[in-house]
Amino acid sequence: MNHLLEIIIAAPFVAALVILALPSEQTMNMRIVALLGAGVSLVGSVVVAFQYDMGVGGVQMLNSYPIVPSLGINLTLGVDGWGVSLLLLTGLIIFTGVFASWTLTDRVKEFHVFLLVLVAGVFGVFVSLDLFIFFLFYEIAVLPMYLLIGIWGSSHKVAEAGPFRFVWRMLDIGGKEYAAMKLTLMLLVGSALIIAAMIAMYLEANLTSFDMLRLENVTFSHSLQFWAFPFLWIGFGTLGGVWPFHTWSPDGHASAPTAVSMLHAGVLMKLGAFGVIRVGMMLLPEGAQEWVWLVGGIAAINVIYGALGALWQKDLKYVVAYSSVSHMGLVMLGAATLSVAGWNGAIYQMFAHGLMTGLLFALVGIVYDRADHTRHIPDFGGFGRKMPGVAVFFTIACLSSLGMPGFAGFVAEWLVFLGAWTGQQFWWAMIGIVGAWVTAIYILRVSKNIFWGPGPSDRWKNISDARGQEWFPLWVLGGGLIVFGIWPNLILDFIDLATSTYLPSVTSLAMEVHP
Amino acid sequence: MSTSLLILLTLFTPVGAALTLGLLPNFRRAGRPAEYLSVAAAFVSLIAATVLFIRQQLVSDATPLLDTHIRWLSHNGKSLVEVGATIDGISAPMLLVVALVAFCVQLYSMGYLAGESGDARGRYFTYQSLFIFAMEAMVVAPNAFQVFMGWELVGMCSYLLIGHYYQKPSAARASLKAFWVTKFADMGLLFGLLVLFTVGGSFGWDSTTVTSLGSSGATAVAALFLLAVVGKSAQFPLHIWLPDAMEGPTPVSALLHAATMVAAGVYLIVRTYPIFAAAPDVLTVMAYLGAFTAFFAACVAMVQTDIKKLLAYSTCSQLGYMVAALGTGSLMGGYFHLSTHACFKALLFLAAGSFIHAVHSNEMENMGGLWAKMKLSAILFIIGSLALAGLPGLSGFFSKEVILEELSHSGHALPFVACMLTAGMTAFYMTKACLLAIFGPPSEGARHAHESPKTMLLPMGILAALSLVAGFGGTMLAQMYGVEYAFHFGTTGIIATALGFAGIGLALFAYLPSRRANNPFGALTSVGSFIRYGAVDRTAAFAYRNGLCKIGAAIGWFDRYVVDGVMNLTGWLPLVAAQRLRRIQTGVVTDYVYGVIVGLIVLIAMGTVFK
Amino acid sequence: MTLAAYLIVAAAVFCCGLYGVLTRRNAIGMLIGVELMANAGNINLIAFSRFLGQVDGQVFTLFAIALTVAEVVVGLALVLLLYRSRKNIDVVQASEMKG
Repeated sequence: MNHLLEIIIAAPFVAALVILALPSEQTMNMRIVALLGAGVSLVGSVVVAFQYDMGVGGVQMLNSYPIVPSLGINLTLGVDGWGVSLLLLTGLIIFTGVFASWTLTDRVKEFHVFLLVLVAGVFGVFVSLDLFIFFLFYEIAVLPMYLLIGIWGSSHKVAEAGPFRFVWRMLDIGGKEYAAMKLTLMLLVGSALIIAAMIAMYLEANLTSFDMLRLENVTFSHSLQFWAFPFLWIGFGTLGGVWPFHTWSPDGHASAPTAVSMLHAGVLMKLGAFGVIRVGMMLLPEGAQEWVWLVGGIAAINVIYGALGALWQKDLKYVVAYSSVSHMGLVMLGAATLSVAGWNGAIYQMFAHGLMTGLLFALVGIVYDRADHTRHIPDFGGFGRKMPGVAVFFTIACLSSLGMPGFAGFVAEWLVFLGAWTGQQFWWAMIGIVGAWVTAIYILRVSKNIFWGPGPSDRWKNISDARGQEWFPLWVLGGGLIVFGIWPNLILDFIDLATSTYLPSVTSLAMEVHP
Repeated sequence: MSTSLLILLTLFTPVGAALTLGLLPNFRRAGRPAEYLSVAAAFVSLIAATVLFIRQQLVSDATPLLDTHIRWLSHNGKSLVEVGATIDGISAPMLLVVALVAFCVQLYSMGYLAGESGDARGRYFTYQSLFIFAMEAMVVAPNAFQVFMGWELVGMCSYLLIGHYYQKPSAARASLKAFWVTKFADMGLLFGLLVLFTVGGSFGWDSTTVTSLGSSGATAVAALFLLAVVGKSAQFPLHIWLPDAMEGPTPVSALLHAATMVAAGVYLIVRTYPIFAAAPDVLTVMAYLGAFTAFFAACVAMVQTDIKKLLAYSTCSQLGYMVAALGTGSLMGGYFHLSTHACFKALLFLAAGSFIHAVHSNEMENMGGLWAKMKLSAILFIIGSLALAGLPGLSGFFSKEVILEELSHSGHALPFVACMLTAGMTAFYMTKACLLAIFGPPSEGARHAHESPKTMLLPMGILAALSLVAGFGGTMLAQMYGVEYAFHFGTTGIIATALGFAGIGLALFAYLPSRRANNPFGALTSVGSFIRYGAVDRTAAFAYRNGLCKIGAAIGWFDRYVVDGVMNLTGWLPLVAAQRLRRIQTGVVTDYVYGVIVGLIVLIAMGTVFK
Repeated sequence: MTLAAYLIVAAAVFCCGLYGVLTRRNAIGMLIGVELMANAGNINLIAFSRFLGQVDGQVFTLFAIALTVAEVVVGLALVLLLYRSRKNIDVVQASEMKG
């Protein structure tokens, strides 16, 4: 029996427990324990990638432990090609995320405990094959975010305007507690939709089992598929940044501390998109077929809307958050094409965007830290002279974000566009491509406004480049973007293996019903 | 040495140098070692490219010397996209041109950038090496997909290199503008690839693909590719980025924005010519568009006072020639001119850079009197100018001749006339540049000027020699391209040459030092600046500021205050409702007892009614 | 005596208690009202027990009396605390729980 997956999930939990037991002044030990926990998971993810048998494919390392036998709830873990790539992403992000929060001094113990619990949940979602456990891990991953933002976050002002300006009096808009509360409430409403759909599926299947591998073979009634799929789409999609349920994202990301933003944009948003594909589309293929026109249409809106929205932002973190909304749109766009290229692109975009946005948030964190905790872009300028290393990695992230060949983002975007185009969804592809161009405009303009130009002015005479452990996330994530951009098949082969086994059953099942 | 090894050497020595420099910051920042490594890599690349060129020249025309590729993207367990290298009669000459100009420019840069910090030089040479790789990878691409990747990467290098003086606001703006405009056009290439793949079934340009594309498919692909060409090769109206790109260091202008990168558009047409050939409508558009750009850019070049801007418009103009020539349905003129133009335009830029290096100004009036101080550079500049002007016997004469011949036989009268006139105008503005910059009244800057070092003169010498003789290589190149070519000096040639001499004469008449005072073309300056700043640039800037940015602001506002406002409202409503409802909690026990009793009665009543 | 007579007495006692609870502002008065209501219930239990010939009701009543005693103890303790803090036992004035 291979227990690698259990080890990957348990390592952060165990590390969290050890940190809980440590006296609260031993902050350095806590960081080291956190690093060890994250490191074990990362190494485990790499070993999984090597041990995964490409010749056999399918779900491997399958283990099942009964939890509630009377309801058929089992802790079933197994990894497929998608899981391999997303485990690797999560491992990379959490490992670098611990480094990125190295300088945190406030309540170090609790911070690392929540961070590790969160990431254990993320690992769990990517390898769970039991719908109930999938959902359980999903909630474990989502809920610590409330405290992580509410306690360690930062507040900012949002100008009082618009048709709903009367709400400002009662809501502390822009405050970290507001951001935490909004994120949690929106995601919980999503969760309510998910659990409703989940229970309906459980009851209709009547297998007394939440086993996703078994549920995949069940043909649910048309009416259930028709209403349950939008539930799952919106439920998971809220976390995946689906328009118009994305508005927790800019505030949440802007308020969250660096490592949390990295994890949140880097892997947590992927959970949402992954849920839509893994649960929504694969268990309810007919419902997916019925609704893809809307899923894809909204995703196209996401892409262009996020990019245009980012143009207007003055706050650095808001720009990155809107770019996440835009890029997560590409994931959903790829998913909605229901084609091999589209799905490959969607999963690859999760991977590429995870690395890219993790890198961007790490860099933003450094700039924010150096620049007296301001993120107001017009205040910056000419930082490149003082922080050349940060500038280089920022440029790398920007180029990946706008889809420059040689960076991981390009591969994903290209596959998504190809999927949309071959699926006769010309408008989706066109909007996606135009969105990539708009990305080039806002993201390079930001890069220019921060790092280029004369200066820096006297106000910033003490800023400095990244130092010590801060380099680590930059090199790992930046290097990852380039390596996986130059040699995409390192990861794409895994993804493609899973897609090419899963997709035919999704599309053909629907074909039977609608010849 | 095997061919595969040679192509590996050609491509991977520059990228190896770039990687080494990228990964070893301290080594890069030392400056000098970075230069040596980078120049050595460019040299190895040049030697390997030369050997490849000779080998390809020796095999019979149609067979590729090398055609190898490996899987790059998987799709359903099979290959979706492949990368590799193809050396054939089309790619080998371009590869040689790129490697040659790149080596010359790298060598020249050692002298040109000597005064800058090690950090800046290290950065510069890293990007230049990366550029050489990207450009060569694009040239040897076995399919349109790899062309696209190289195409984007050279655009990225262009962005990075124009921004070399990133602290200058104008340079920062220019690099963004260049990237945005070309990236806008690149959407055409991306769409073209999608159509090519979905309709044609592959990313290739072989006859099978073209056949399955059909007439409409080929037209669509060619038209979309043409959009990308218009951006990259600075054709009207997307030429606006090229003059601004002159903010980069002069060697960058020579390599990227004169000889190779801007020619990538023309090369794309040449490379995928089977597709273009199947789309006659697009060819016609190309003939008119190219000729218009040639004429228009020459008009603007005539009134420039900045030597680099003059050369930049001249580049636009010459690229217009190439596009127009390819629009006639023949490969020879456009591609031949691409090769010769690369030599003499790179030479012109390098010589201009030599002047700029000496006087620290781009304005021609600050250069006057350089003849006395920098004879070698001046002579080299004059050679380049004459080659560009089409003086019989020099390389530009031969290639331009072919283009004009092709145009005269094509039946497109208007483009032909425009290109003929452009020939005269080209001679005019180049003579003007020579007269003002070299023989003009001695300026302040020129008094302290010194001749450039040998590292700068040597590469200029190589390019000058090629500008003199490259015209005689037409037969050889034609054989490699697989087209018919025999030099023919007919009526067209005679008229064009006469126009050229007329242009030179007119310039002498107007700009000879003794006649400077009553310059009859002063009025042109205002017209020129209107065309330059008023028409196209303003429109683009307007579209950006009042179009895109306003839409962005509207969407950003809408998102923050309407979409998010609705979300806030849904959070606000329960809060307000709760505030209202809390009033029923009076705190008086008796009231609660009343509540209990009323509730009891209601329950009993409901129990009775809904039995 | 019929069952109805007992029930009428119980109802009357209950209403008296209810009236006391609703109208009294004095906490002890309210407490007495509550006691009356509870004992009305006890009367009912015993009456039914008697007429149905089962002892369940009487046992139940004993429990109820014990519980009522406990309730009064807690209630009086609260009233005492209220008096200590406010020097009166007017329930209308003691409205800190007002929303």
